[in-house]
Amino acid sequence: MSVALKRTFEDELTLNEVVALYPDIPRLVIIKTDVQRRGIHYTERALSVVEPDIHLVNDPKISELFGSRDGVKKPLPASLLLRDGTSILVSSTPLEENPYLVDLVDGRLALVDDGEFIEYVEFWRKPRFYDLKTSSGIPMRQIFSARPQRLSIVQSSYCHFWTNHKGCRFCDINNNNKKRNEDEKTQPRIKPQDISETIREALKEPGRFTGICLTGGSVLAGNGLFDKEVDLYIETLQAIGENFATKKFPSQLISSAFNQKQLERLYKETGLMSYTSDLEVLNEEKFNWICPGKADNVGYQEWKQRLIQSVDIFGKGHVATGIVGGVELAKPYGFISEDEALRSTLDEAESLAEKGVTTIFVVWTPRPGSDFHDQHNASLDYYVRLASGLHQLRVKYGLTVDFDDYRRCGNHPDSDLARLI
Amino acid sequence: MAIQLSSELKVLLNDRKVYKALATVDEAGIPDVVLKHSIFTAEDGRIHYLELLESSRTNHNLVRAIWFDGTVSIAVTGPDKQRFQIKGRPVEVHITGPLFEKHYVEVRQSLGDVELSGVWVIEPLEVIDENISFRRKEEDLNRPYFRHLDRLAKTPQK
Repeated sequence: MSVALKRTFEDELTLNEVVALYPDIPRLVIIKTDVQRRGIHYTERALSVVEPDIHLVNDPKISELFGSRDGVKKPLPASLLLRDGTSILVSSTPLEENPYLVDLVDGRLALVDDGEFIEYVEFWRKPRFYDLKTSSGIPMRQIFSARPQRLSIVQSSYCHFWTNHKGCRFCDINNNNKKRNEDEKTQPRIKPQDISETIREALKEPGRFTGICLTGGSVLAGNGLFDKEVDLYIETLQAIGENFATKKFPSQLISSAFNQKQLERLYKETGLMSYTSDLEVLNEEKFNWICPGKADNVGYQEWKQRLIQSVDIFGKGHVATGIVGGVELAKPYGFISEDEALRSTLDEAESLAEKGVTTIFVVWTPRPGSDFHDQHNASLDYYVRLASGLHQLRVKYGLTVDFDDYRRCGNHPDSDLARLI
Repeated sequence: MAIQLSSELKVLLNDRKVYKALATVDEAGIPDVVLKHSIFTAEDGRIHYLELLESSRTNHNLVRAIWFDGTVSIAVTGPDKQRFQIKGRPVEVHITGPLFEKHYVEVRQSLGDVELSGVWVIEPLEVIDENISFRRKEEDLNRPYFRHLDRLAKTPQK
């Protein structure tokens, strides 16, 4: 097929050049990073081997927070798995953006770039509960989504920061949610019993899951800021917890920056084991520009302080902040050079690591429904240096990130490297 | 390049009563050798190893091997003085999916409340017959200087 490319990457180091430049970083993790950076396109041959009864296929009714890079909702394979167990969370990308191809090579699924074989891959597999309904008739796949070893629930796919047009500029959550609501009838709020029943079914599949992740858009309502959001998470976590013999169960909450009282409630009243609150960009000036809602309602320094305080409650190795790697280079107010951006980001990440907060990143993928939809993400070289730098900070400060690693998440090149810690 | 294991070696590897030792190396080249029952051959001739602990040294070393093209070694000793060493390369690890879940269930039925971190797939590259009489004959033939003279001396007449 012939497509006019909008991006050629000719002025950047190639995958093979980056692999050669960083012999201490595994080629498979560099491949994952580049695939996330550039996106993928499934060939018809690759799609011919999708078996919806076996493989995890995107379903518009499933509450994924963010949209795809091509803005199209299609029943495509959810994501990919490499032979070392590394997940590649990636969505379908327009061909003119020059993505990797997922094709068949010698009858097996493979990543291909410009005719060159890169690696064999596999599709994720569907858990059994996806075909079941709760006693109230709701398809369980609409309550929890699955990754190779993780269950995820989206508490709210509406972010209140967007109400005053102050949503994070890289994010498409509300536009994606709005589009879904246009496409599908709005789903009612999930009831605790439906949550509990779905978890009960998921646990019937031995060896299928190692962790549960809760997340959603920020909810500003309540007596105090985020009180309503905390109440919703407590209700959900308690419903999940009904199914476990132990009070605590491997779990991650990715939420707004809660105050100490709210965090103590979460820890004491539920089985939650870890807490993540995303600063998104580790620089106060860029944060104020890129995340105006977070800046107005909490502020950069206070957000940091709340993360640090949460270490006293959840413990070292159980608290993280997420950043959108590369968004600090967004135009027009981002860093001009990758070197400067990297230095600033890692310095700030170190100030958090010293206090027990670990930093993880996702590869920024400009999506159609976001303010930054027409921008480009950073170079592969940048992402590899960022992954390595964040990993080295964990080594230096003795921080584990087991709740958000290759298996319990799979979306962070830096925490993929934590398999060696 | 991958090789095929002999039928004799496959039988030994699949016998739970046979001792098998898995040797890996860490980042500094320090070896780590552990006795393992959970090593066996698959239908395709490759070796499967069930790793029960995600945080074990062996698992870390296997991750390092699959990432940086490293190799491992498996020593096997049989009831009839068989001694083999297999050099191999970890090429896959199943942390999810049907193969993983099958072994997850089986290993828990067999060992009780244990974890399964992954099913490692090791491609055999070389097999060395370590039986001492075989190795001595081989050395006598190929390296005739490597022997003490008294072994060659005439037996004193009585």
